[in-house]
Amino acid sequence: MIVKTSRPAARLAALVLPLAALAGMGTAAQADDWTPTSAIEFIAPANPGGGWDTLVRTTSRVIQEEGLADQNFAAINVPGGGGAVAWAQIARDTGNPHKLFATSPPIILVPLAGTSQYDHTNFTPIARLITDYSIVLVPRDSEYQDLNDLFDAIRENASLSVGGGSAPGSMDHISIAGVASAAGLEAADVNYIAFSGGGEAMTNLMGGHVEAVITGAGEAAGQLGPDSEVRALGVSAPERLGGPLADIPTYQEQGIDYTFDIWRGVMGTPDMPEEAVAYYEELFAQMLETDGWADARDQLGWIDAYQNSEEFGAFLDEQKEEFSEVLSELGLIR
Amino acid sequence: MDAFNNLMYGFGIALEPINILYVFVGVFAGTIIGMLPGLGPISALALMIPITFAMDPSSGLILMAGVYYGAIFGGSTSSILLNAPGVAGTVATSFDGYPMAKQGLAGKALAIAAYASFVGGTISIVFLMMVAPLLSKVAVSFGPAEYFALMVLGLTAVVSLSDKSLVKGLIAAVIGVMISIIGIDLQTGTVRYAFGTAHLLDGIDFLVVALGIFALAEVFYILLRGGGGKEQPRNVIGSLKLSRGEVKEIAGPIGRSSVLGFFTGVLPGAGATIGSFLGYSMEKRLAKDGDTFGKGNIKGVAAPEAANNAACTGSFVPLLTLGVPGSGTTAVLLGALLVMGVTPGPAMLVDRPDVFWGVIASMYIGNIFLLVLNLPLIPFIARILDMPRPLLLSLILIFCMIGVYGMSFSVFDLFLLLGFGLLGLGMRLFGFPAAPLILALILGGIMEESMRRALQISGGDWSTFIDKPISLTLLIIAGLSLTLPLVKKVVVRVRATS
Repeated sequence: MIVKTSRPAARLAALVLPLAALAGMGTAAQADDWTPTSAIEFIAPANPGGGWDTLVRTTSRVIQEEGLADQNFAAINVPGGGGAVAWAQIARDTGNPHKLFATSPPIILVPLAGTSQYDHTNFTPIARLITDYSIVLVPRDSEYQDLNDLFDAIRENASLSVGGGSAPGSMDHISIAGVASAAGLEAADVNYIAFSGGGEAMTNLMGGHVEAVITGAGEAAGQLGPDSEVRALGVSAPERLGGPLADIPTYQEQGIDYTFDIWRGVMGTPDMPEEAVAYYEELFAQMLETDGWADARDQLGWIDAYQNSEEFGAFLDEQKEEFSEVLSELGLIR
Repeated sequence: MDAFNNLMYGFGIALEPINILYVFVGVFAGTIIGMLPGLGPISALALMIPITFAMDPSSGLILMAGVYYGAIFGGSTSSILLNAPGVAGTVATSFDGYPMAKQGLAGKALAIAAYASFVGGTISIVFLMMVAPLLSKVAVSFGPAEYFALMVLGLTAVVSLSDKSLVKGLIAAVIGVMISIIGIDLQTGTVRYAFGTAHLLDGIDFLVVALGIFALAEVFYILLRGGGGKEQPRNVIGSLKLSRGEVKEIAGPIGRSSVLGFFTGVLPGAGATIGSFLGYSMEKRLAKDGDTFGKGNIKGVAAPEAANNAACTGSFVPLLTLGVPGSGTTAVLLGALLVMGVTPGPAMLVDRPDVFWGVIASMYIGNIFLLVLNLPLIPFIARILDMPRPLLLSLILIFCMIGVYGMSFSVFDLFLLLGFGLLGLGMRLFGFPAAPLILALILGGIMEESMRRALQISGGDWSTFIDKPISLTLLIIAGLSLTLPLVKKVVVRVRATS
């Protein structure tokens, strides 16, 4: 028995010693310029294929291809609860400098809806990278020529439906409720129909089952063109977008003072060491300058919107205030 | 004629040596992915996006489409051999496929699945080619009210799936609907029955339930009956050959289910699943020997397999003609195409005919590859059943656990799997059929969502379901399929007494 118990102990010691040595090396390097000492887990808090996943895989690929980091960026999917499962996991990993995750407005909206006990203040902001905007679409043969037509019609008939690709109180809903409220309606006047994805909302628009749809401009860009079944009434950007979206007026041009950003960025574990934050800030700033990134970004319809850790943190706080306002108007704050 | 020229043009692209290689690699990888539950086509395709990034768009789509329909083709294997359906579209295949395997006819079941998949795939490509642009209108004509009616029609299959006792079948179906309610409600954002855990916020995945109440319950049942260590019958694979009579017997079901599968596949949503269940229950009703369905009837394997492969091809219609994804898998394909700089949609036929026709032509080639690749493999794959029972049972256990964990990376789901295994065992012991539960689980969620969405759009007016012609028609068919058997019985009885 004695022999048996001592063996694992010896093994444990053998394991711990090199680890301790490694840790020592790590702190020595940290003194000046911190660099990762192992592969970086880059988490997409969702299934493969969505916005977070695309961001994680695209940035990992560009960083790798351009040789910007010595260590590997490993894309990992942790789906569940609209991000809540991943956040709960990451929140336990305080101080780990080798774990990052992709983020966007749900990090604020999901906690506000009461389905995650962790929100953006629990994590370390690293950088905001890109943004997309909301776009309001109607069927080609719709009677509405601009946003005001649509809102006037809704004022007349409150049952007119606007579809979106996510649940009430999430991004699409906030976006349409926000602009409606800026146009003088009550936020809650919009009969928002939640579909289980932008694609489903789009087919329902094409089939004329809903009056209008709100979705991401980048996602919709491919739908718009001369033979298109749908037409855009406006984008939530502060100024006109480029490419196929150049003809679409902003909300502001139509006299509605409202913009909405679908931003995406990177966050790290709670209390990530400052040196590590500085390293990643710099890394992502560099990445945004590369040609590989420019190609991928344009193809995906993203717009660069870099903010460093500090700016991003302040921006997140502002967003939370803004979202809380709309949500309480909607009666959705829990 | 035009279609013919276009197709020839497409073959010109698909037959380039590099593209032939991509088709082959795609369907081969797809077959293997399909055989392993958990590693579904969605994850596989998402992982491939970086690889296809630098490819020519037509080659990229040819490769990825190959993985997709290859996975559906291969998906029947685990349903038949292990009673462990890996994707929702192959659940119906296990109803008769697994009993056949137990009777020592695994080889024949797999062969029928392969032939049915091939024919279903090929017939639907012809449809895709001829009528895809016309069908884009059909795909969008289904709004929430129409989906609700379609789900009701799908649920009528519960009647034909509950053999011995209709009441027990209905109870199982209600449990299925109850499970589908768990999670965040999409219409209000309210959390239902999650018991405060984040793991249940997205609901319970179909795969966890299916592997639990089918595969795991089967393992428990065998163990309980003391079958764990028993000697097993020799020659468990059986012959692959079909007699002329058998070919004749399955020809009709395959043809009908291919058409049915294609049209349900065109509808964005649960195409392959509804297609295969409707195909199965339709054939069961049409068949003279309908009472042998569920006990190893070859038509019960042929119909759902033809339907799910046809539906897979059908799901390319909304993707290619409208640029909207009809399923999770086609959503990933859409994303990949965008990354490659191609925008699917009405303009694609004009701007990038090489992609559209190249992919269609490659599907013909891919289906032939799949048949040629799969048939010779059957004896080797089926040999898995030759394993000693204790090994085989442990293998199924591991297989299920990897499948579930690989999908969600969640230990919580493993406990759920175990729970559903026990539930399945209980149902088995007390004579409750498992199929209605799984069908109701898959359709129940969409049914509820569609119904509430339709009512929200109509302002709470229930007449929306009968005002719309498609919805009304589907509801009438659903009503008839429930009442006709009753009427028939009454008529027979009246005649017998007079």
